Amino acid sequence: MRRLNAYALTFRLPIIIWQAIFFIGPLFFMIAMSFFLVKNYRMVEAFEFKNWDKMLSRNYVWDSYWYTLGLAALSSAVASLVAFPAAFALAYRSSESVRRWAIFLLIIPFFTSYLVRTFSWYVILAESGVINAGLGYIGLGPYTMLNTMFGTIVGYMTLTLPLVVILQTVSLASADRSLIQASQNLGCPPWRTIFAVILPAAKTGLIVAALFAFILSFGDFVAPYYLGGSKPPTLPILIIDTTKAGQQWPRAAVVAVIMMVTLFVVAFTAIFLAYRKRGSK
Amino acid sequence: MNEPLVVLDGVQKNFGDFFAVKRADLTIEAGEFIAIMGPSGCGKTTTLRMLAGLEAPSAGDIRIGGKRMNDVPPHQRDTPMVWQSLALFPFLNVRENVEFGLKMRGVSTAERRRRAFDWIERLEIGEFAERNIETLSGGQKQRVALARSLITEPQLLLLDEPLSALDAHLVIRMQGVLARLQRELGITFVYVTHSHSEAFAMADRVVIMSQGEIAQIGNPREIYRTPANRFVAEFVGRNNILTGTIESSDTDQVTINSVIGNFSAPTEGIHQEPGSLASIVIAADMVRITREATDAENTVVATLISEEFVGSIVTLFLEAADGTEFKVQLQERALTDLDVHAGGQFHLSWATADAHLLPENNG
Amino acid sequence: MRTSDWALRGYVLLVFVFVFSPVVMSMIFSFNSDRFPTIPLGGFTTHWYETIFADEDFWKAAQNSLIVSLCASLIATFLGFCTAYSDYRYTFRGQGAYLGIILLPPTIPLIIMALAMLAWFSKVGISGQVYSIIFAHTVLTAPFAMAIIRLRLNQMDESLEAAAWNLGASEWRAMREVILPFCLPAIVSSLFLTAAVSFDEFTVAWFVSGLNKTLPVHVLEIVQGTIDPQVNAVGTLVFLVSMTLVIIAQLAIFFRLNRSAK
Repeated sequence: MRRLNAYALTFRLPIIIWQAIFFIGPLFFMIAMSFFLVKNYRMVEAFEFKNWDKMLSRNYVWDSYWYTLGLAALSSAVASLVAFPAAFALAYRSSESVRRWAIFLLIIPFFTSYLVRTFSWYVILAESGVINAGLGYIGLGPYTMLNTMFGTIVGYMTLTLPLVVILQTVSLASADRSLIQASQNLGCPPWRTIFAVILPAAKTGLIVAALFAFILSFGDFVAPYYLGGSKPPTLPILIIDTTKAGQQWPRAAVVAVIMMVTLFVVAFTAIFLAYRKRGSK
Repeated sequence: MNEPLVVLDGVQKNFGDFFAVKRADLTIEAGEFIAIMGPSGCGKTTTLRMLAGLEAPSAGDIRIGGKRMNDVPPHQRDTPMVWQSLALFPFLNVRENVEFGLKMRGVSTAERRRRAFDWIERLEIGEFAERNIETLSGGQKQRVALARSLITEPQLLLLDEPLSALDAHLVIRMQGVLARLQRELGITFVYVTHSHSEAFAMADRVVIMSQGEIAQIGNPREIYRTPANRFVAEFVGRNNILTGTIESSDTDQVTINSVIGNFSAPTEGIHQEPGSLASIVIAADMVRITREATDAENTVVATLISEEFVGSIVTLFLEAADGTEFKVQLQERALTDLDVHAGGQFHLSWATADAHLLPENNG
Repeated sequence: MRTSDWALRGYVLLVFVFVFSPVVMSMIFSFNSDRFPTIPLGGFTTHWYETIFADEDFWKAAQNSLIVSLCASLIATFLGFCTAYSDYRYTFRGQGAYLGIILLPPTIPLIIMALAMLAWFSKVGISGQVYSIIFAHTVLTAPFAMAIIRLRLNQMDESLEAAAWNLGASEWRAMREVILPFCLPAIVSSLFLTAAVSFDEFTVAWFVSGLNKTLPVHVLEIVQGTIDPQVNAVGTLVFLVSMTLVIIAQLAIFFRLNRSAK
């Protein structure tokens, strides 16, 4: 074991100190806060289960919980299904350079202006928006797309689709090609090759992609609020409403802790499925 | 007192439970070209890294120029190393790479530039001086790496398998460059390699390591002709090893008995009880091969299995009646009167004086 | 086979249209004279840009955004570099947890981070300031810095640092002369990428900023009101800035890495 010296500590310590103050601190405080009390619009440090009792006994919280969970699961499924043919094409039917460029382009939206892009969908999907105008020319519509679940899902896709396509493409492209060729040489029809060979080979990457889509959708408030009309509110919207109105931070913390626990369970399940050895089924 | 340049005194290095070097005792004289050789994982690179200060010995002492070096950090030593990967700085050009060591020692810009150009010229890479490292060929990079480590004019140069990434024909050329530089500069070279040809071609002395221990130290001829043990005999390559029980042993000659016959070797002062197991070694190029039986001291009949050509040298692989393998090395032109074909029967023979009794019998 | 290939190509194109159409629409509508964004378009106008440029709030927010993303990217890149180097150079107990504390934040929903940071910052009295946003954004962006720089270090010849020591450089000198120059493309990339992420982040910024809005928070607040084509103009500007940052980040890392990988 090498002794610690000033040099090593200079590089090791900053992140520990920084994250302790600005990351670990906040998270633990939030968990503690879920047991605080609010008296006369002021937070009092305590250790009571009052907030938990209150929140867990409210039907609207549970409605919101199941709705958010369902939406996120749906979003994860839709993103995975919509992305797959594109990832398949980029991984197996494109040249190396096309694939690089595609990933290069898809990284851009992932890191840019989700809010602006969502608002743009508002304009596109509106009653008098671009899509309905287009459909109007061929005598269809108008359709109501805003303030529907469809709108929410479109918003979620804005957030998750680029990432899911990237992750799926990378995992498909790195799957063992010789297996696929062998399967085709043995006369497997293409769609059976996909199910019997490609999906299992790229399983880990596909599940991780779906997990990211789930996490991002589960925690997003913009899509369900602006495109989905917030009826019923999802958990993130619940947190905002509870925090911004009436200083009920402890109750918001309860919702946040519930969300974190849910995410842990989902993430561990997904990772367990992703890395489980084949043949144990 | 005239202490050798480098002394390893009972040096040991372990990483947890793993003993990379169990015990190394070695002295290296100034101006010597020494090769440390062994299979991968034998501890040769760890030994080299300890000389450079990149690993600290767990036990024992390392002295360089009479000074105990155990706790001297690498940058305070002058033990430049030529790395297996070359480890050239990709963001510096050729000249900047070569200058690096002087820059770290605070030599003025003008001075270090002058000296860098000297070395660049000396290694015949002058036309690439301002080139990006990435644009050079393997052999050119090799020369940059050499210039970079030699510019501080050290007493001791460490080389860690420096030629392993080169093409065969370049290896021969670089061997020439290295051997000439070493002679001209009079610097001590410690050269780690797993290649027999490199070690035997250049080194004054060869250290063979096995599983963290020094198996033998000697000049190439000694290592080759009189291996100290079975490991060295096998590792060095084209040796035939025959094992049997000792039939007789006197001051001159020892004879062993095996299924395929009785064979003799000089005793070389080693006493072994009759009846005990012993092995003798005959180098492949000492074995004569004939169609007809000869009246030589030691003979065996064997069947040809295969042949292997390397340049003008051919190695024949044969098998005696009990399955003992024999290797015979000879010049390609000697084959013409022999009519070799697989399955053919041949008589192998050698002089007792060319055989070597392994001092220890470890199987 | 042919038709299925063309179908797949068309499909990929559709996905890209889906991903990029909102951006394009936003740009188009930012020059549209109609107050309500409908088809067919009204006339061309720069009115909305003039409106926002005349708006003091916009300039204040832009200034805040600039300060925040600049500081956050510097701190995050410093932290990311230190952590990446520690992980690269040393093996130590608790290394998994060590990496966990820097890599975990992106897997936690921003809304949760926002609430947690708001509460904690209020508790210790550092809430509602421009620096509150900076602190928060360093936590959110440092993982990206760490990942980029760690990948770069992976490409470094294992012996390079030791070679510098061997030639007489102390650890600190080797850091300056070898590690930092080698990591430079990744550091540049990290600075731009973390700046972009910080520049776009609105959830945490909205919670902890108090009255010191950043541009995306400004957008959020306009959107919460009525439909105002100003949003398209601000959005287009925000998008252009962050897109530029991300593209520079990618170019720095892709092109340099490709060159030295050969």
